[in-house]
Amino acid sequence: MNKETMQKYLDRCSKCGGCMAVCPLYGETHVEPLVARGKLFLISNYLEGNLDLSCKMKELMSLCLLCKACTVQCPNSIPVDELVLSIRQEIAHEKGISFVKKNVFQHLLQNNGRLTTAAKCAYLYQQSGLQWLVRKSRLLELGGGDLGKKENLLPKMAKVPFRAQVPHLLPAANPRVKVAYYTGCLTNYVFPETGHAVLKVLKNHPLDIVIPDQWCCGIPALASGDEESAVKLAQKNIEAFQKAGVDVIITDCASCGSMLREYAELVGTPQARAFSEKVVDFSELLDDVVDFQPGEKEVNHIVTYHDPCHLRRGQGVKEAPRRLIKAVPGVTFREMKEADRCCGAAGSFNLTYYELASKVGHRKAQNINDTGAQTVVTGCPSCITQIDHMLKRENLPVQVMHLAELLSMTY
Amino acid sequence: MLSNAVINEIKQIVGVEYVLTTKEELLCYAYDSTPNAFLPDLVVRPCSTAEVQKIIKLANEHLFPVVPRGAGTGLSGGSLPVAGGVVVDLTRMNKILEIDAENLVAVVEPGVITYSIQEEAEKIGLFYPPDPASLKTSTIGGNVAECAGGPRAFKYGVTRDYVLGLEVVTPAGDVISTGGKTVKSVTGYDLIRLYTGSEGTLGIITKIYLRLIPKPESKKTLMAVYNNLKDAAQSVTSIIRQGIIPVTLEMMDDRTIQCVEKHKHLGLPLDAEAILIIEVDGPRVLLDSQTAEIAEQCRSCGARDVKVAESEDDRDRIWAARRAVSAAVVQIKPTKISEDVSVPRMAIPEMVKRLKEIASRYQLELVIFGHAGDGNLHPNILCNKQDKEEMQRVEKAIGELFQAAVDLGGTLSGEHGIGTMKAPYLKLETGEAGYAVMKNIKQALDPNNILNPGKIFWSDSNE
Ligand SMILES: Cc1cc2nc3c(=O)[nH]c(=O)nc-3n(C[C@H](O)[C@H](O)[C@H](O)COP(=O)(O)OP(=O)(O)OC[C@H]3O[C@@H](n4cnc5c(N)ncnc54)[C@H](O)[C@@H]3O)c2cc1C
Repeated sequence: MNKETMQKYLDRCSKCGGCMAVCPLYGETHVEPLVARGKLFLISNYLEGNLDLSCKMKELMSLCLLCKACTVQCPNSIPVDELVLSIRQEIAHEKGISFVKKNVFQHLLQNNGRLTTAAKCAYLYQQSGLQWLVRKSRLLELGGGDLGKKENLLPKMAKVPFRAQVPHLLPAANPRVKVAYYTGCLTNYVFPETGHAVLKVLKNHPLDIVIPDQWCCGIPALASGDEESAVKLAQKNIEAFQKAGVDVIITDCASCGSMLREYAELVGTPQARAFSEKVVDFSELLDDVVDFQPGEKEVNHIVTYHDPCHLRRGQGVKEAPRRLIKAVPGVTFREMKEADRCCGAAGSFNLTYYELASKVGHRKAQNINDTGAQTVVTGCPSCITQIDHMLKRENLPVQVMHLAELLSMTY
Repeated sequence: MLSNAVINEIKQIVGVEYVLTTKEELLCYAYDSTPNAFLPDLVVRPCSTAEVQKIIKLANEHLFPVVPRGAGTGLSGGSLPVAGGVVVDLTRMNKILEIDAENLVAVVEPGVITYSIQEEAEKIGLFYPPDPASLKTSTIGGNVAECAGGPRAFKYGVTRDYVLGLEVVTPAGDVISTGGKTVKSVTGYDLIRLYTGSEGTLGIITKIYLRLIPKPESKKTLMAVYNNLKDAAQSVTSIIRQGIIPVTLEMMDDRTIQCVEKHKHLGLPLDAEAILIIEVDGPRVLLDSQTAEIAEQCRSCGARDVKVAESEDDRDRIWAARRAVSAAVVQIKPTKISEDVSVPRMAIPEMVKRLKEIASRYQLELVIFGHAGDGNLHPNILCNKQDKEEMQRVEKAIGELFQAAVDLGGTLSGEHGIGTMKAPYLKLETGEAGYAVMKNIKQALDPNNILNPGKIFWSDSNE
């Protein structure tokens, strides 16, 4: 976003404070620099030359979950998250990003071979407890800070990445639609079981499935202000999926999904637009495109649902996952309080600001537990990591799973 | 400017973590919901009456200004540190201490968000009626300090009607309690009324006893459309004559209606001069006959169309129009100068006429909405704060707008307070003698002028 556009949006802020009612970080801390109107005022002051991009500024601008709760409620329709991203980019330009992040975004994520090696290192580290290896695998250092305390939050790497476990072409007998599956890094390297569940559900529908070559969606780079790396990743993905020649592109990750839909804007080419238009969430595919056919097995769970920020507000998907859950034989669905409030994961936010993210997560865990559900379902691996961590930390008798896993249990 | 020694003492009092010193953080406490901002020297976030007391004592020793701040949603500049000094952020004192269902009293700290009190009360069938539109963000301390009102004020009154007792740290640093859990109390002067609406100039409120009432069983909503604003005002009177006191009577003028319709496409009539949104509450058995009576009165006073909400969806659709106002009007121009003059109810049509005349004379965009039951209007001037020339015209128009309200037997501010924004006009209403009484109270209680200097009595500092 250029400075004039930023200024135009900033001028619209009347400081009414509506954002204070919905901001998860303000809700836990009650401090103004963490809420949208404070951040917007700081950005204004920077643009007017009244403030430098100091370390404090950098810290305050990184203290945002990008959950869009303020953006959606703003009576003056200010895209707060985009403004925060723009200023992060400005800061990254001016101050540079950390050595580790730079390495990850500009080299590791751009090269699947190296990424897989890094993931393997991480796996080995976790299996053997070899401390030094984690330092080599830059992936785990992404968040920085005290590693020991967050150990439980760190994803447990899969031995073999999901995409190396499955064929890349799964044709159907009478396909209605040809679908490309964008697996996302977390499913690929950490939660292969989610990937298997997605495929199991898809295979029970008349769909041709392709898993093209693919790279990180770019959202971690963009969130850290490295737009250039994000654009490069986007271009690689667009090209690879174009070759696959599909009708629809699905994701099982809310964050990846919202990022893939952003490609149109981010890259700006007709190819990018064509790509973004094809992207739908796993749940939308089953709810809108094909008619979801559950299997016969009953799943006798009381289930509640957590709306990932990037699905509910990022992609406007609200009812599809709920309808699918309710369609599962045996399930009793219970809506939780504040289902669409951020869980505190926000990419690597929960690693960087562990204590604060845990406060946000605590509220989510309580809301989940208050429903009396045994299972909480959601549509984003990043949320799953955080919610799982919070439920265990608070000893709550609830399990978390991806929507695909719940649906796959019926077959 | 505060010396490092003083800052260190403050850190000792509340803990380092709760003292904000960087320019970035201070900037975030420089503003409220007005378009203005002033940088404080320090922000302090105490968590107890004792900590507040120590800060005030220190202020008297070293003579620095102390500005109490709730959520900073004020619309008159009350929490702006116009003279620098220490902003005392009270949002950490945010515990609901007790909901006493037997005595119908809530005891709360000042930093509690008003809506949480309502939620807690409603869980046990009780009701805290004051409902400023900012209720999900503003603090109860700020509500008491401004004597906030809301749409329900016509039937249920404003914040002051629910304050039974207060604990206050005085400008001298003493802690006093006034009132408590009793509904009646005439021991000496009514200090509760004095502190309620005192805008942080006479003390820092640290504990509040609030009266609760049983929650009305049900409510019902209507919308009436008028070709003529006078008829809308007449309807209100006719309804009351029938012995019905609606809980809300919200009015929108033609310009407001057009803005909302253009922005939200709700199907509102673009040629109407006024819309009234009327809501009644109480025992369910009464509401049908009451709404029928209200509809009848509206029609006989000239309403061209009356809709009664038959379902929750209908009700939502009617209120959607009112809720959309804020967002809709800033589409015209980004800066919203929101006034809250109040006039006797029957003077509303004349007031609206004068307001429109003033706006057209200064070539300004003006929308008028507000609470038709109690005559509290919200004329909003839409302008652009970057446009200096336009802002000068706004300034002049505001002066005339206040004069018009006073001429019609009204008041400068129904609920937002004087703060800095209306301070230059205070004497219009109080006169010299009234002003002197207020000023004497302030001087007697705060001889060092520690608390919230530059508010209410601004005209003095400019003289
Ligand atoms: C969108 C919007 C809608 C609004 N709607 C309404 C409405 O319908 N009705 C209405 O009346 N107002 C309304 N307001 C104005 C505002 O919300 C109220 O004045 C509210 O009471 C301010 O509360 P606050 O916690 O934000 O106080 P602040 O703005 O922080 O402070 C307001 C004043 O109170 C003083 N103060 C705060 N806390 C204390 C304390 N503990 N002890 C002593 N002094 C204190 C401050 O010094 C200041 O003078 C609205 C504002 C906005 C932005």
